[in-house]
Amino acid sequence: MASNTPASPLNRNMASDPETDRRSEKASSRIAQFFQSIFSHGMIVFVGLFFAIPFLWMLLTAFKSDQDVFHSPPRWLPYDNVRVEVNGQQLPLYTVKTEQGVKQLALLEIVEGNGTFIDPTRPAEKLEYEIQQGTERIAEPIMEVSFRWQNFPDAMNRGSRPGVGASFWVYFKNSLIIAFFTIVGTLLSNTPVAYAFARIKFPGRDILFVIILATMMLPFQVTMIPVYLFFNNTLGWGDSFLPLIIPAFFANAWDVFLLRQFFKTIPEEMCDAARVDGASEWQIFTKIVLPLSTPVLATITVFTFLYAWNDFTGPLLFLNSPRNFTMALGLQDFQGQKTIVWNQLMAAATVFTLPIVIAFFFAQKTFIQGIKLTGSKE
Amino acid sequence: MENLNSPQNDGERKLPFGIKLPPKVVWTRRTKSDLRTGILFLLPWLIGFVTFTLYPMIVSFYYSFTIYHAKRMPEWVGLQNYKDLLTDEKFWQSLSNTMYMVVIAVPLGLFASFLCAVLLNLKVRGQSFYRVIYFLPSIVPTVAGTILFIWLLNPQVGLVNTMLARIGIDGPNWMADPQWAKPALILLGMWGMGGTIIIYLSGLQDVPVSLIEAAELDGANWFQRLWYITIPMVSPITLFNLITGMIGMFQYFAQAYVISGGDKDHLGQPLGSTLFYSVYLYQNAFQYLKMGYASAMAWILFIIILIFTLLLLKVSDRFTYYAG
Repeated sequence: MASNTPASPLNRNMASDPETDRRSEKASSRIAQFFQSIFSHGMIVFVGLFFAIPFLWMLLTAFKSDQDVFHSPPRWLPYDNVRVEVNGQQLPLYTVKTEQGVKQLALLEIVEGNGTFIDPTRPAEKLEYEIQQGTERIAEPIMEVSFRWQNFPDAMNRGSRPGVGASFWVYFKNSLIIAFFTIVGTLLSNTPVAYAFARIKFPGRDILFVIILATMMLPFQVTMIPVYLFFNNTLGWGDSFLPLIIPAFFANAWDVFLLRQFFKTIPEEMCDAARVDGASEWQIFTKIVLPLSTPVLATITVFTFLYAWNDFTGPLLFLNSPRNFTMALGLQDFQGQKTIVWNQLMAAATVFTLPIVIAFFFAQKTFIQGIKLTGSKE
Repeated sequence: MENLNSPQNDGERKLPFGIKLPPKVVWTRRTKSDLRTGILFLLPWLIGFVTFTLYPMIVSFYYSFTIYHAKRMPEWVGLQNYKDLLTDEKFWQSLSNTMYMVVIAVPLGLFASFLCAVLLNLKVRGQSFYRVIYFLPSIVPTVAGTILFIWLLNPQVGLVNTMLARIGIDGPNWMADPQWAKPALILLGMWGMGGTIIIYLSGLQDVPVSLIEAAELDGANWFQRLWYITIPMVSPITLFNLITGMIGMFQYFAQAYVISGGDKDHLGQPLGSTLFYSVYLYQNAFQYLKMGYASAMAWILFIIILIFTLLLLKVSDRFTYYAG
């Protein structure tokens, strides 16, 4: 009985012949473990495909040639025409069924289903063949696996719409500018506020802390319209980065809470000792607390970047002219066109995602720590 | 919360019904200077709170009782906006679309995240690699992720439908089909749930090994250990994620906007199946310029969120286990 069941301390006690039983038990438990590990691995990989495939498809589409994007059925790897140089021109190579058998010819142009070909071995002569006769394909392009890197500069050099006068480089730069100043504002404004809530004792502090926590529950839509009108009409800041940057300089509940939790872990005695030595609160804050807080400041920096880089609603409300678009807005605008150039769109989406992925691989710990801090129970 | 170790903490004032007031402040030169310092440190938030929260709240509450087209002065109409909303079909449609997401997508996402976390917590070689794979999609910007899913779920040439066709399934039209548009968005949401998975994973790692081993000794199988130990132990995380997920879902906007292609007349299509609450609110405010009407919607949203949060907190008392 015991030999059939996986090792369990209970069964072991009931075994009649301890020596043989233990050996067979070990073997069977190893087999059970082996199958269990195969099964676990299988499940993890299977579910992992759900996360990995879309991501991979974005990358692979970004490398496809224009002909290959709509290839049916879709192929995983990007394919491109095999090209040959004929009379100083790079021309795609086709297999063509001619009267003299199947030949490899370079295509010059197609006009109404009629292809003009050149035989690379006899470049002077032009040959005419129909691409398709009835259901039979006469000429078939020769494709090879080829990653089209050119999609990236093509995507970045173009605008989201024809004739907008701004390229994705401009959108990228705008996103960077907004993210940079949002980070600066967030770090400057949230740290003193969090310090006051963590370390300065003054009447009314706890009530104010409850108020700041309560603002977390307030949906953005409640304040959206007056804030929009204030920036747009009262201050005349419409179509500028200011409405996106300025609020970051006035602290927010999430970052204050995160920082306060961290500041409270810094030993009170250190601050008290400094107080006894006559240090002001500002000195304690800048000379003792802040230098000890680099991990949480890194977390805030990373997450503020993520937020600002990702933000769609803010730019949508405030930015109108394409030269002010952010990546998020530009990408959305690009996608809204009548004919979508999917390979370039995915290339732009990849460029949009890249800074975050790079940041993740450089600061993996900071990312994970930040998610746990902001997302776990309190 | 720690006690204030100052003398003013001694006299705690007692009121009937057990209501406690904060200790009466004894004003000394010390407390006055502390208050001054405290306020100075808080200044960024105090100014921000008044300018970007308190004042806008009051103003938007006022707008909700007016007709306001942003150009002319607001015109007081009393409860008219709220009455109009009750008979506005699109309002109810947007609310029911949003409730669909709150009631189905949020719990489904939590459940799936939990299962993924359980998988990632297994002792398997290469686990740290798998964790990165599960997590990575969650940092893809919303707009990029949404566009990617539009491409993947393209009815004719999309990867998903061609893969389905290979196993003999005729895939739906996804975002072009009123029945399938929301499930498509749910899929998109689940693709990016890496953050929740990480939170659950850290919760699973905090479950004391001694507890699991004790249950194992008592003969509890894998499922029983999961059901009677792990799930109760992570219940505070579930509650937290349920509340934040719900609040976020009530404000679901960017994805729905992007799938409309940015065409304002296409917002909420097909057949209003993706007309979510925040989308309709946005439409009212910035497309129809009915700022008063939109403000009324915003306040109703706030009240719904409040009720749901309190309800969840109340109900969860019985289902949530707090260690220590």
